[in-house]
Formats: sequence, structure tokens, C-alpha cells
Amino acid sequence: MRTVLVIASVLFLSACYNAPDPGTVAGGGGPGALAGAPAQSFEIRRTDGRSDSLARHRGRVVLLNLWATWCPPCQQEMPALERFARENAGKVVVLGVDQGESASAAAQFGREHGVTFPILVDEQQQYGRAYQGIGLPTSVIIARDGHVVRGIDGAMTIEQMREAVAPALRAR
Amino acid sequence: MTARAATLAVALLAIALVLAQDLYPVSALYHTWQYAAALALALAVMIAYANGVRRGDDGVLGRRLLVAVAGAAIVDVAGLASGLLGPDTAAVIGTPGTVTPVPALGAAAFFAAADPAALARESGVVTLRRRGAPEIVLEGGGRRLAGESLLYLDPRPAAFVEVFDDHGAHLTVTQPTNASFLSPVLLFRQRQRVGSFDLPFDTFATPARHRVLRALYFTPQQLREFAHAGVTDTTHPALVLTASDDGGRPLGITLASSGQTVAIGGLRVRVTLGTYPALAIASAPPAWALALGIALFLAGLGWSVLRPRGGARSGVQPQGA
Repeated sequence: MRTVLVIASVLFLSACYNAPDPGTVAGGGGPGALAGAPAQSFEIRRTDGRSDSLARHRGRVVLLNLWATWCPPCQQEMPALERFARENAGKVVVLGVDQGESASAAAQFGREHGVTFPILVDEQQQYGRAYQGIGLPTSVIIARDGHVVRGIDGAMTIEQMREAVAPALRAR
Repeated sequence: MTARAATLAVALLAIALVLAQDLYPVSALYHTWQYAAALALALAVMIAYANGVRRGDDGVLGRRLLVAVAGAAIVDVAGLASGLLGPDTAAVIGTPGTVTPVPALGAAAFFAAADPAALARESGVVTLRRRGAPEIVLEGGGRRLAGESLLYLDPRPAAFVEVFDDHGAHLTVTQPTNASFLSPVLLFRQRQRVGSFDLPFDTFATPARHRVLRALYFTPQQLREFAHAGVTDTTHPALVLTASDDGGRPLGITLASSGQTVAIGGLRVRVTLGTYPALAIASAPPAWALALGIALFLAGLGWSVLRPRGGARSGVQPQGA
């Protein structure tokens, strides 16, 4: 009798088992989730034909700006970014990274907008992937030690740019 | 067959069923009620035998074999508990070159960057980093235990897309329905039914040309069954691409094989097909329970073949089932 009770108990236990379907968790988080992470770097060509990467500017504060020629908010942000680059020359390195387009398109855009800071041509969109861009423009502030200070989704004003780099400039 | 032999056979089967969770984690079997019921039945058989031994049914040998049965029962309960109480099997799909938090493990998963060649080589690597613990690098068919979770890579279809305009200029690729907006790597997170096919599906856009493209992934087997006039190579997977404008107006449909550049919707599209791994997290029986249970099982079997002190093996004759 006891055996029957034991068998009945374990069968009841197994009947209670509600097997879940295998679940799926999608990754993501956007550039804001990258604060504190080591900044990833890729060696790519600039519009002037030279090779460049984020890693080459280690030891200086960098504002990395991801953009594309077709992106209206990027076009609106570009004059402020150029002004910020001139204002902070020698203190902050501004790197523009065109996402997925050809060098000729990026260079023409740079000329039309009077851009003087370096433009990297990221045809394979490596920086966009690495910095989890969820839209354009995306800006990433990198500290002198090569870690991400902050990731910002969307266009910024020059005041917001100054505010974004201030903690990195204060840090020694 | 005696009760003893039947119990040992059931114990061995239970151990094999539980070990299978670690050795072949991709099976959906462990999440079925039949699997749980089989382990529960095996446990019941072992308990029934132990009760018989307690009453003196199987003599000295039976008492010695109880150690083996107890070991098998520990393994059985551990396997049952990992199915009943362990976390659901989950696949963490990360965009190549990005970091994805995995709260279930208190870890961050680094999905290695992948260019078209890496996708074609099907050589994805995922590195898990946890505070205060050594990092875990998963590649190929490797499996690792982390606490009560079994980690392994689950290769999924992936495509690297490159889009050009009529002049061969590269165009930005975005994924409008996806968090990884700027990745030109399609991971086919969704599925779509087309006739009798249930196909991996993804979509991407080229904002510079106001085009939205949808991609359906066909395996070679599905291509053979598709029997479409345009299908000539049925030995490799391919994508069926459809294009539309911003307003949803259809602009064409075409079949794209890996490495081939096709014209569609005023664009030239080159796709490289391969796989990219998702990080699969399955519940697994705790390693200490398996080790203890198997050690007891082997020790009990070993003890049972030793001659009892005093020489006589009276009372060790098998009892009829």
C-alpha cells in the first residue's frame, strides 16, 4: 500500500510539472548602457585617405560621433559639432564616423558642412554595432584611459556637448 | 528478472537520462512531462526496492546495494529538480561586436565581432564575464557549467548584407524593427509562415534610398521543396528578398545566394550567409549532486561484489521479482 502511495505521489509531482517552452532573450541596451566599458576600436580609412582608429587617440578625451549623410538630425547637429571641435581643439578629439556609406559621399558631406575634424568611413558599420547605435546620430564620450564615459542617442546642442565631456576633462 | 536486477537497470537508466542533460543539452526532451514522469517512475521503483530491503527481502547484498540505489536516487532527484525548478532554457541573441547583459547569470556576454568571412566560416565566439569569477569562453560545440546552468552555443542562421546604389556607392543599412539599429548582420529573430514553410525572417532598410527589404531564409531542403523556377542551386541556403518603398509599395522580389550581388528595388544587394551563435542557457543538475550520486552508485556496486565478512553469502540469493 505504501509503495502505491509513493508511486502516486511522484506521479502527482510530475503531473504538476508545467514544461516551459524554450524562451528567447534578445540582447540590446543602446549606447547609454556602455558607460564604464572599454571602448572598442577599429582601424578604418578616413575621407582624406589616411588610416585612423579610436585607439590612436588614447590618452586624450574623444567625442566619437556616428552619423550618415541621409540623416536629417545629423545634418542639423553638424554645425554645432564643428563649432565644438574648434572651441575644444587641443583638449578634445572629435571624430566623425560615417556609417555604411562610401568615402566620396562622406567627403562631399564634410565639404558642404565645412567640417574640419577627421571623418572616418565605416562602410561595414563596425562602430555602429560596437556602440549599440539605436539611431543616428549617436555620440560616445571616451575618457583618456580608453573607457566609455557616456553614450548619447540623438542630436546634441553645443551646450550638451560641453556638459557631456566635462567629467572626462576633469578626470586626470 | 529479479527485483534487484530490475531496480539496478532502472537506476542505470535514470542516471543515463540525467547525464543526457549535460551531454546532449540541445534536446527538448528534458522539458517534456514524459521525461519528468520517467524519472519520477524510476525514483518510485528505487524507493519500492529500498522499502523491500528494509523489510529484509534481499538480505545482505540488498543492504549493500542500497548505497548504489541511494546514489542513483540522488542523481534522479537532481535531474528531476533541474527540470522542475531550474530556469527555462533561454537563447540570448546578441549582435556581433556588442555586449549583452545576462541577468540570469549575473554576467555580461561579449559577442565577438563578425565580418562576412567570419559568418561564412561559422566561427562565432561568446565570452561571458562575471564579477569576481574567471571568464568563460564558448566556441564551437563546447559546453560549460556555470552554477546550475549549462551554457553552450546554438548556431543560428545569419546574413551579412551590403547594399550599393547604381554607381556602386555603399549605403547605410539599418534594421528598423530591431534594437541593433545599425547592424548590417541579420540574425533572423522572427519567423514567418509561407505556405507550408516556417521560415526565419528579418527586415532591414536603406534610409538613403527610402527602401525597406524583407529577407526570408531558406535552407537547401526548403529550396528543393520550394520548386520555384528561379531556384537553380539547392545545395546552399539562400534568401528570398522583397523590396518596398517607405509607403509599403512593392518594388520587387528576388532570390539571393551567398556572395551573389542581386538587383532589387533600384539597389544592388550582396548577402553573405552563414551562422552566428546565440548563447543558450539550459538548467542542469548540480555537478556536486551528479558526482556524489555516481560515486555512491559505483561504491555500492563495488561493495556488493565483495564477499561479506565470515565467508558465507547466506541471505544474498536473489529474490524473485
